[in-house]
Amino acid sequence: MSLIKVENLTKVYGKGATAVTALDHVNLSVAAGEFVAIMGPSGCGKSTLLHLLGGLDHATEGHVVINDASLDGLDDQKLTELRRRKIGFVFQFFNLIPVLTAAENVALPITLDGKGAKEARAKAEEWLKKVGLGDRMNARPDQLSGGQQQRVAVARALVAEPALILADEPTGNLDTRSSDDIAGLLRQVANEWGRSVVMVTHDPRIAAYADRIIFLKDGLVVDETRLSGSGDESTRAVKEKMETL
Amino acid sequence: MSVRYAILGLLAQHPRHGYELRNAFEAVVGGEQTWSVKPAQVYATLERLLEAGWIAEEMDPPDPHPDKRVYAILPEGQQALGEWFRSPVEPEHERDEFFVKLMISIVTGTVDPRRVIQVQRSYLYRQMHLATTRREGCNPHTELAQILLFDKTLMHLEADLRWLDITETRLEEVKHQPIPEPEIRPRGRPRKKE
Repeated sequence: MSLIKVENLTKVYGKGATAVTALDHVNLSVAAGEFVAIMGPSGCGKSTLLHLLGGLDHATEGHVVINDASLDGLDDQKLTELRRRKIGFVFQFFNLIPVLTAAENVALPITLDGKGAKEARAKAEEWLKKVGLGDRMNARPDQLSGGQQQRVAVARALVAEPALILADEPTGNLDTRSSDDIAGLLRQVANEWGRSVVMVTHDPRIAAYADRIIFLKDGLVVDETRLSGSGDESTRAVKEKMETL
Repeated sequence: MSVRYAILGLLAQHPRHGYELRNAFEAVVGGEQTWSVKPAQVYATLERLLEAGWIAEEMDPPDPHPDKRVYAILPEGQQALGEWFRSPVEPEHERDEFFVKLMISIVTGTVDPRRVIQVQRSYLYRQMHLATTRREGCNPHTELAQILLFDKTLMHLEADLRWLDITETRLEEVKHQPIPEPEIRPRGRPRKKE
């Protein structure tokens, strides 16, 4: 079943002769528990697409439906509510609050949504344990490595139990090893914990963790590649590659 | 690469049966999924190593059952192995079938070279996904060698993908440059003047 359904999604910035079409009638759907990477050259519209999926911006034309809820015509108040409950965000620069501990950062979204402090803390601890930071609950961001800070950010994205995680260049500020860790964690978020993950990346190594890659160019979907599931053929392909090395 | 030197090296470790050599080779390369060798190939290689005087059979005369024969390395074999270790391995980056396909697609004009690039890109991503999955499935405490081999695969695939991106952005420029044509020389006997 599709968790996200996007139809004819179009975003035009500016008007008249200076108008720029960032997204041009894009159609796509993402299944529940699927991990999708969006790739393409700079300026292809991938960040715009992510912003529209996350209700961070309004489309010029077209529809976005997330978990049976249409984003069409929602005012800012309603969009904020939807973002808080149905969507988790992971950013390139972690965006943690420096004066708060890991547990406080993770608890923040549900505290803002009205959960009691005790319940929010328990939920935050549960997710920090799941992402492997059970022993760093009380560390502040500056006491954590980049990879650990991004794990905190992933826990924060999950704490409200959203069905969808949107990640914008989540490994763009990490070394290779931490990048692999975070990509592996996002795969776990999808495959084990059943959330849909849509990730924008320009890093092939990271995109390879996804179940599917959508290629954008000049605001258009130019191709899609399913990575998981075609067992025998792929095994043979890797084998051939290794033999040539 | 032929498996010759690998077999020679495994015999330098200790004398082995033919079938044991095959298993040991596949263990080194990360299982038969990665690189399988047929028994016939192992025995043919052993034959050649015997002829070269690099190895010998342990029993004299040899055991009548080929799969019971045990082989050991000789000093000449040790020397050949040493030379193999001292010399570099030639990578074949420039003899690239995809590059040739892309150039031919440009000169024939019967297909969009961008499509040719995208087909390759999709394929490389699928390979990368599988190598990533298999790498993640390795135990770092017992299968580090396999992890390193998958890392190498991933790094090469990543480089190939980046090269596709660069090439795609410069495709128009390439199209505007004439592809070198070979000089046409007259063949056969010169024609008689009338």
